[in-house]
Amino acid sequence: MALIDATQQLLEAAMRGSWQRQTALTNNIANAETPGYKPEEVNFESALQSAVADDQPVGEVQFQTQAKPVQAGPNGATVSVDQESAKLAENGLDYEALTQVLSTRNSIESAAMGIS
Amino acid sequence: MGLFDAIGIAGSGLTAERVRMDVTAENLANADTTKAANGQPYQRQEVILKQASSEGFDGALQQASAAQEPDGVQVAQIVSDATPDQQVYDPGNPEANAQGYVKMPNISTVTEMTDLISESQAYQSDVTAMQTAKSMFSATLEVLK
Repeated sequence: MALIDATQQLLEAAMRGSWQRQTALTNNIANAETPGYKPEEVNFESALQSAVADDQPVGEVQFQTQAKPVQAGPNGATVSVDQESAKLAENGLDYEALTQVLSTRNSIESAAMGIS
Repeated sequence: MGLFDAIGIAGSGLTAERVRMDVTAENLANADTTKAANGQPYQRQEVILKQASSEGFDGALQQASAAQEPDGVQVAQIVSDATPDQQVYDPGNPEANAQGYVKMPNISTVTEMTDLISESQAYQSDVTAMQTAKSMFSATLEVLK
């Protein structure tokens, strides 16, 4: 097993995707009152899944920030601030879970190498 | 994509909401002003927001590569509300016309107060987004320990 194996690379790619999603969600909330704004989303999970299925290097996968198909509400608003805030909280926790896994793996490797 | 983009975007949202709150406060303060700078009753002001876009080299590069990166929000302009002035019957008022009517600003205090609530809630959402980004940074730094 290599020192930086597939799982490690996948973790790093997922952190990158989660970060990009965070930026998109923040932009949606900042533009909640902007007339005609199209909310954005980043579907990095499916991009990673297809990369893994096709045996492509996950480190090189670029995630797309896409406009989400939405219908404007009665006051012309296209962003649902409560939904976006919920996704924001979820994404933050996801990201922290990823960093936890990464830390644990790092400390296992450190222990194996005798670094305390 | 920069590391601190999310915080910058949330910051642009905070600035935009603050401008909207300033304008609402101005409207409330002038709800009874019969003589604005032009001698006419004060006119209600409204803020129009637009999606911010990168300027200069960054903007040109983004357009060329068709890779749209989020840049936050900005105030497009502050416009006057064209709703006609209110006519209030008050013959004793020195501003009253021959029929005893005074022209008052086109401001409804209730509208302004509800606007203020939605603006302060939008501000709170931006603060939350910024805090989430901050805790994600901290989590990243923890990996290095």
